[in-house]
Amino acid sequence: MIGRAFRFAWLRVRREPGRTALGVLGVTAIGALLFDMLLLSNGLLVSFRERLDRSGFDVRVMGSDNAVIAGPAIEPASALVAAIRRLPAVSAVQRVSLEAADVDGHALPRRVTVAGVDLAAPVPWTILRGEMPAAGDTPSGLVVNRNLAQQLGVDAGSSISLRGRCGSESAPLPLALRVAAVADFPNDASDALTAATSDRALATMCGAADADRADMLLVRSAAGGADAAAAAIREAAPSLYVVTNAQLVERFGRIEFSYFRQLSGVLTTVTLFFGLLLVAVLLTVSVNQQLGEIAALRALGLTRARVMAGVFCESLLLIGIGGAAAVPIGALLSMWLDAILRSLPGIPADAHFFVFTGHAVVVHAALMMAGAAAAALYPMRLVASLPVAATLRQEIGT
Amino acid sequence: MSTPVVEARDVTRTFAMRAGPVHALRHVSLSVGAGDFVSVVGPSGCGKSTLLHLLGCVDAPTDGRVFVDGADVSALADTERSRLRLRRIGFVFQRFFLLPMLTAAENVELPQAEAGVAGPERRQRTRELLEYVGLSARASHRPSELSGGEMQRVAIARALANRPSLLLADEPTGELDQSTGAQIVSLFDRLNADGTAVVVVTHDAAVAAQARRTIHMRDGSVVADSGSGR
Repeated sequence: MIGRAFRFAWLRVRREPGRTALGVLGVTAIGALLFDMLLLSNGLLVSFRERLDRSGFDVRVMGSDNAVIAGPAIEPASALVAAIRRLPAVSAVQRVSLEAADVDGHALPRRVTVAGVDLAAPVPWTILRGEMPAAGDTPSGLVVNRNLAQQLGVDAGSSISLRGRCGSESAPLPLALRVAAVADFPNDASDALTAATSDRALATMCGAADADRADMLLVRSAAGGADAAAAAIREAAPSLYVVTNAQLVERFGRIEFSYFRQLSGVLTTVTLFFGLLLVAVLLTVSVNQQLGEIAALRALGLTRARVMAGVFCESLLLIGIGGAAAVPIGALLSMWLDAILRSLPGIPADAHFFVFTGHAVVVHAALMMAGAAAAALYPMRLVASLPVAATLRQEIGT
Repeated sequence: MSTPVVEARDVTRTFAMRAGPVHALRHVSLSVGAGDFVSVVGPSGCGKSTLLHLLGCVDAPTDGRVFVDGADVSALADTERSRLRLRRIGFVFQRFFLLPMLTAAENVELPQAEAGVAGPERRQRTRELLEYVGLSARASHRPSELSGGEMQRVAIARALANRPSLLLADEPTGELDQSTGAQIVSLFDRLNADGTAVVVVTHDAAVAAQARRTIHMRDGSVVADSGSGR
């Protein structure tokens, strides 16, 4: 029965090319927006997860569950780093301190975020030009991001002076550093000025050479995985906040990203409703134009279920064709929208708002099919409740 | 005496309207036998079409009973009545109601496909039917490419697709000119001669004259029945 109903529906949509084109175009436009909402609802999370994983570390240790900048520092850091390194579940540990500094002797004021790290441990950035500095370099080596290199006109081998702006511990004297490399830093905004040096050099720049503190520890787990490493660290340092990448993504989705999800949820619902309304109206008009034909088919012996199946298949066809066309169009639209959003200031250069996933395609298809069923409900009811004899009488009377 | 193809026993059909109930049929009884060719005549609104719809099981009586091949169909569920119509009753309408997106052959195949007739048998039967109504050459034409008379002949072929024992026609010549109408009536005559019971509701005196039995209706009642002509 479904096969015949589908063939009929196909012939019917071909019979009215204007109506079909209108319906398919409308569904395509609405479906493309719906698809973009689905990409948006999960895109930042997917992008965030990818960025975290790309850094090469899968566990983070902080003083508290506050943001890194706002949270208490980890002190003394060296002993803790050594203790964590000894854990069998851990493969590598990197300590990170973040401070602000001004570029000294430059015509325009330049505020730079400087990371102090253990140069002997794995680092989260990717070197583009130059070489990785060593801990004992004199003057200390500095890695700068592309933006900073471009704005100051420096490259590997250049010299640079930074004056620390480290809260109350501001160093009165600038610190001379040698640019060892230009690199891409994870989570850098496109307009960010970022640099990294040794933890000792950073402490010196801040006027506290003997300080032993870190804002965050980045940990690479051993074969047992991130959860095992996190559990071992929690046991070794119960007062610290230990979080895996997966937990961070989950928290981000639940708290920081919840507004995005709500927004896209509302827009998805509204979009779907309009698509449903469009197809329901088209089908209702079509059914109303064919009442005599439908009554005659019923008189010839087609069952109520059979004519209802015809309407349902017609809805499936209109939404199916439009929905399928919506995916590539939505994907193109999302690339354009993503480029607009990524150009906003403060957005990490490698972050994406719209990320194409197979899951989004599946959810889109499911929503469109559910929409087709919902859109067909009223016209199917019209057909089901059609009084055959009265309709035939009316058709002859008109 | 053989079982009538269709029989109405004291049927009444009342429509509830805002202005009050309308009695379309009042205590009508009639029986149509296997070889009958019956015309139902009367002024507009006298209940002819309502009677045809009751005999054809597309409507149910408010009171009374309808029997098809001896079986009471008054209490049948909608799906069972649909099945009965599909296999035992053929309908021909004034406005043909051919599906415009299907060819003549496909229109004739439609009820057979719904009845589950296999493809080769269906196509063979369709060829025979189109030949029977003189439209073999028009099998692949769509309704928009056919004249009114041709469309009605396709509609008759469609009505005969599942070999019904009863053919019901509601004003089958209403949209046709006189000479085309006469061709349709002679086709009914031939059908009847081949063994199908035919009931035609008509305003057309020529059609009525061709039938072997004429039922006159007025105000929802049968006022005259010429009886079986065979």
